[in-house]
Amino acid sequence: MTSQSTDTTVVVSGAAVLLPGADTVRALAEGPAEGGTPVEPAEHVGRKGLRYKDRATQLGYCLTAAALKDAGLLGDDGLTCAPESVGVVASSNFGNLDTVARALDTIRDETVTATSPMDLPNASSNVIASSAAIRYGLRGPNLMVCNGETSGLDAMHWATTMIAAGRAERVLVLGVEPDNDVVRKLLGGARAVDGGAALVLESRPAAERRSATVRAVLGPYTRGAGTPVPGSARRWELPEHLGRASGAHGVLQCAAAVGWFDAGERGPVHAVAGTAADDARAGLLLMAPEAA
Amino acid sequence: MTIRPIIGMGAVAATGSGVDELFESLCEGRSGRAELRGFDRSRFRAQHAYEVDNRPVAGEDVPGRATGLLLDAVGQAAADAGLGEDLSGIPVLVGTGLRELRSLELWWRDGSPFADSGLHFGPGLRERFNADVTHTFSNACSASLYALALGSDLLNQEGDDAPDTVIVAGVDVLTESMYGLLERVHPQPPDRVRPFDRNRTGVLMGDGAAAIVLRRTEQDAPQVHGRLRGVAVNCDAYHVTAPSPEGIAEAMRAAHRLAGVKPSDVDLVMLHGTGTLLNDEAEATALADVLGDCASGPLMTAVKSMTGHTSGASGLINLIVGVRALKEGRVPPTVGLEEPVEEAAPFRFVTGEAAGSRQLNVAQLNAFGFGGINAVAIVEGPR
Repeated sequence: MTSQSTDTTVVVSGAAVLLPGADTVRALAEGPAEGGTPVEPAEHVGRKGLRYKDRATQLGYCLTAAALKDAGLLGDDGLTCAPESVGVVASSNFGNLDTVARALDTIRDETVTATSPMDLPNASSNVIASSAAIRYGLRGPNLMVCNGETSGLDAMHWATTMIAAGRAERVLVLGVEPDNDVVRKLLGGARAVDGGAALVLESRPAAERRSATVRAVLGPYTRGAGTPVPGSARRWELPEHLGRASGAHGVLQCAAAVGWFDAGERGPVHAVAGTAADDARAGLLLMAPEAA
Repeated sequence: MTIRPIIGMGAVAATGSGVDELFESLCEGRSGRAELRGFDRSRFRAQHAYEVDNRPVAGEDVPGRATGLLLDAVGQAAADAGLGEDLSGIPVLVGTGLRELRSLELWWRDGSPFADSGLHFGPGLRERFNADVTHTFSNACSASLYALALGSDLLNQEGDDAPDTVIVAGVDVLTESMYGLLERVHPQPPDRVRPFDRNRTGVLMGDGAAAIVLRRTEQDAPQVHGRLRGVAVNCDAYHVTAPSPEGIAEAMRAAHRLAGVKPSDVDLVMLHGTGTLLNDEAEATALADVLGDCASGPLMTAVKSMTGHTSGASGLINLIVGVRALKEGRVPPTVGLEEPVEEAAPFRFVTGEAAGSRQLNVAQLNAFGFGGINAVAIVEGPR
């Protein structure tokens, strides 16, 4: 356990975005243009270690590195803080569906002997969260949230909960969805965003101790069946041309809020996910740094 | 440290439905092992698993079985705690390794209806229990103890919005892809789960679900089955499938610290014990290191020898069996354990018949998952 403090405020101290048409929180906040090229992971983290990793895990590597660097936690020689102080909460619903479908095809068409042992780790849905931790040496709690449309905001909530409980001083929140044939068939032909966003959440005292720049302050979170109370807070809308964001949707909205705050906007931002057609709706309020 | 009462329990596995039946059959050493019930056996080298025998037509798999087992276990636990069938507003935290990926498989190859909203358990819990504060965590084989850690964190929160009651659950059923890939990495196809035995051949999966109701205080509780003293979670950050004894040992020490217990206080260890090659040695090495001079003290058992590896459900099944063992002073045996591996030489395994008539107060529960995600919980009995 880390040191206890009476200040349980959680802040955002780092952010990263990778989507076709947007690779910064500012570009995300302004709305990615149509016709962006697909993210090429090797251009961001090099080719080493990408073989045998599924698309979602590769995108997760890129986002993890970028967000940790943005927060000042990752330098040329690795982490600049204690490995145990960094947890990971990842959110994805479609992450390993391609591996599951491909392995099943091989078993049905050729028998189990034709499958690749290298697929075993990718058959476990938490491979995105654990792979990010392994590559960057993050030894705090490691959680994979696969909770449908609200998943990204739920991930923010569980990261906040673990920080408040003293389980980690800071948590990398990662929201990512890959686009592939299995996903498109499942979505009735629609595409998925094929990218995502990552944020570093940190207890305010921990951020202050290392003189980190606070980019946003987290407010209340709710999840439930009820209709959310319409507030005056601004909302970021996912451009339709990007496709379905699913488990990345909530994290993208939070990253866009950071983009607005970075650009000098000061009004609060309300991130919302889920509709009346889903099992529940979730909401999270984000405030500009001065609100702290 | 804050102690939370466990006021409701429910479980289903290959060896029985309901906590009473499950515990009794485990104490009798009855195994749930059988030939594969829902897959085309000609596709696999391994031929056995530990499945719940509940398919409408023998040999024909149906979608939605994971959700079905989960709803069964949650319904049992809610009724046991006197919560009834309306769980709106009560957090329900579900740990799973494989979500509804079996339903995805049946959609992909066999054309059964499926939508992306069916991957997680929120819709099923909403439909049956009106539950709307539901969370599906896909955290491999330590998922339900990870969920338990988060549930205990919710109960430790202060303020008007903090919950008084939390339901923690775990569930998994076999998927063809995971069953196949798991047997693929074994030199010879696993035949049965024999945790910690020198001559074991590996791991086989099992179906199962478990649920408990945790409450902030014991006031007005219909009963107290046992008490949660603490749960520690961490990540080895070492390898995607291989465990690290150091990371596991750190999780155990953190759990002891959180729960305020010393190695000499532990009376029973419900081992993760999957029978996987290498993993049992890693668990034994870590446990022997943490217990030190007390390594021969606690009774130890691995019920996966009868339930198979129920993945995300297994941590909570261990908790329920452990809590019942503390209450009754009886511990189910590890079936098929004849020659323990060298690393486990100091341990007092329960083998043969169930160990009975013991005064047992504190149990340690282990769960470790792919990616090196470790969770260790400490519970105490009702007395």
